[in-house]
Amino acid sequence: MCAKSGLGKADMAAPLLSVSNLHVGFATEKGLVRAVDGVSFDLTEGQTLGIVGESGSGKSVTAKTLMNLLPSYARVGGSITFDGRDVRAMATEGERHFWGVEMTMVFQDPMTSLNPVKRIGEQIAESLRVHLKRTRSEAKDEAGDLLQQVGVPEPRKRLRQYPHELSGGLRQRVVIAMSLACSPRLLIADEPTTALDVTVQKHILDLLDELREERGMTMILITHDLGVVRGRADQIMVMYAGRTMEQADTATLFSQMRHPYTEALLETIPRIDMASHTRLIPIPGMPPELVDVPDGCLFSQRCRSCSDSCLTDQPPLEVCGPMHVCACHTPVGTEAGAAARAANREAGVTPAGLDMGTFTAVEESA
Amino acid sequence: MAGSGTAQLRESDKMVLRVENLVMEFPAGIHQVVHAVSDISFDVQRGETLGIVGESGCGKSTTARAIVQLPKPTSGTVLLDPGTDAEIELTAKEGEELRAIRPRIQMIFQDPISSLNPRRRVRDIVAEGLSIWREEYPDVDVEAQVDEVLTAVGLDPEVAASRRPHQFSGGQCQRISIARALALNPEILICDEPVSALDVSVQAQIINILEEMKERYGLTLIFISHDLSVVRNVSDRVVVMYLGKVCEVGDSNTLFSEPAHPYTRVLLASAPEPSAVVDESESAIGDELPSPMDPPSGCRFRTRCPRTTGLCASEEPVMAKVGLDHFVACHFPGSP
Repeated sequence: MCAKSGLGKADMAAPLLSVSNLHVGFATEKGLVRAVDGVSFDLTEGQTLGIVGESGSGKSVTAKTLMNLLPSYARVGGSITFDGRDVRAMATEGERHFWGVEMTMVFQDPMTSLNPVKRIGEQIAESLRVHLKRTRSEAKDEAGDLLQQVGVPEPRKRLRQYPHELSGGLRQRVVIAMSLACSPRLLIADEPTTALDVTVQKHILDLLDELREERGMTMILITHDLGVVRGRADQIMVMYAGRTMEQADTATLFSQMRHPYTEALLETIPRIDMASHTRLIPIPGMPPELVDVPDGCLFSQRCRSCSDSCLTDQPPLEVCGPMHVCACHTPVGTEAGAAARAANREAGVTPAGLDMGTFTAVEESA
Repeated sequence: MAGSGTAQLRESDKMVLRVENLVMEFPAGIHQVVHAVSDISFDVQRGETLGIVGESGCGKSTTARAIVQLPKPTSGTVLLDPGTDAEIELTAKEGEELRAIRPRIQMIFQDPISSLNPRRRVRDIVAEGLSIWREEYPDVDVEAQVDEVLTAVGLDPEVAASRRPHQFSGGQCQRISIARALALNPEILICDEPVSALDVSVQAQIINILEEMKERYGLTLIFISHDLSVVRNVSDRVVVMYLGKVCEVGDSNTLFSEPAHPYTRVLLASAPEPSAVVDESESAIGDELPSPMDPPSGCRFRTRCPRTTGLCASEEPVMAKVGLDHFVACHFPGSP
């Protein structure tokens, strides 16, 4: 199955990162939580992949799996290959100089990802000394250069400061400098700007973009905001409840979106150029519990285009265009999708029991 | 920016709230003062939604709390029903008198889960205001009122009322907070970042509920958020704040389509999907917000402003009218 192994096998040589049929589960009192349920993607060197989804969609767990940061009780299945090497095997062999050197990560909250009792300089120098065996003074010099590169004013002075002396934006720059210390080939940024103000957010995203271009880095940008990845990712993967719903290159995703969830995500967010009091189309209900997942499509309970088969058969991830896969029985912009939505509108209720009234009221007023 | 002045205040008997020259300062160590809010003025018309927008640390939450006198502002006045016979000066009231006015202004907060008592059942949480004000609301059937507001926010009272907050998701907890605020039939509802902690898919549900409630109960909303697109969507009038001062006030559509203050333009250009009315290059300003303990002289925005001149350092701009219901505090307003 071509689709299962992600996008674009045909026109790309060997991808830098290849994730195939990744499963992550956590045993809890209630049962096995399927945090990630069969996710696959390929990432070519130099590209940026955006992963978008709500909280609980499995995007951060995917990132943590790649970074080998999951607790030992997590049950992981599937394969992860980085430049021809088996990443999961490296984890069991105790390979220390892979994470932090070739693959690094920037976390959401710059307040908690720095050590409050160590100076900035020491924290950046640490990975240089551990992984690259730099001497103390070499590492310190390099740390200063790194701070300069990420746009921290007065870098030499900052080396001697503690995290609490810096603002949130500067701290996130320090975290980025740390992750860049060993010149990684893949940088995973997990909601790098969610905790920051909008003016700072733009600076940080621009900085990541510049660094990626300068260094030819590959990047995974994880966010809940489609707007953030729109101008910055080459490909976007939309996740929901641990599964891939849709994946395409950015332009295609926005111009020809197929999955009703992608459509709903875009319609539910107010846009800055929208007149005041424009009625928003809500996504009714809540994401499903990931214990004892029901048959069928996991979005069916909240979907406007739900059909009978959506409740019983899990839609496979199918190719629906060049560089475009989607897991839906009734995709947007197809006859099946239009028919299902028309039938639901007629009946006033979807097969999953969702009242269509809320949608039609908004659609009519729009 | 960021200036003083009261040109933005409207002369009308339809106003429900007027804040004049509000100053909020907090002591911080020896001879030091945090100037959280410095001389801001605005008013809110009955039935209107006023949006307050700005970065963290600009004083928007402090302003909201000063309106409800928690704590009392350092100086300035907060008037309910200004210019009418029923005018009440909140800042002059104390103790029991102030308490008696409190049901008229209710608040909902950013984090819905921590703003509900985890040990109490939803019915008791929502009914608490009514049970405290039993004497003032003698005709109200508490049970029925609780059922009504819970239904209004889209929760089934049969199921929800006997549960505790941990049994609900963040979005549902925010609905409960809204129900609790509505139980006392307030006139003004202050929403302090009500959707910032929620997922995007739930955000629209809550915004729509607030709009419905506003219509159904004839509420006046003060909506605080750092998210410009959310503020534009819900607001009739918007106040842009920076470091304790007001930069720009105006009708929501005007302000977002013809932003005149350089700071407003920076905010619009910094959004993930920048507004078409500004150029993306206008987002270039420094990261660092100056310390509110030692704010810049003159215009407080001058240290990050692309248009700054000597005048901005020496003289604080005053609110001036630049259009119909559009006011700006800047020496060099307009597009660059």
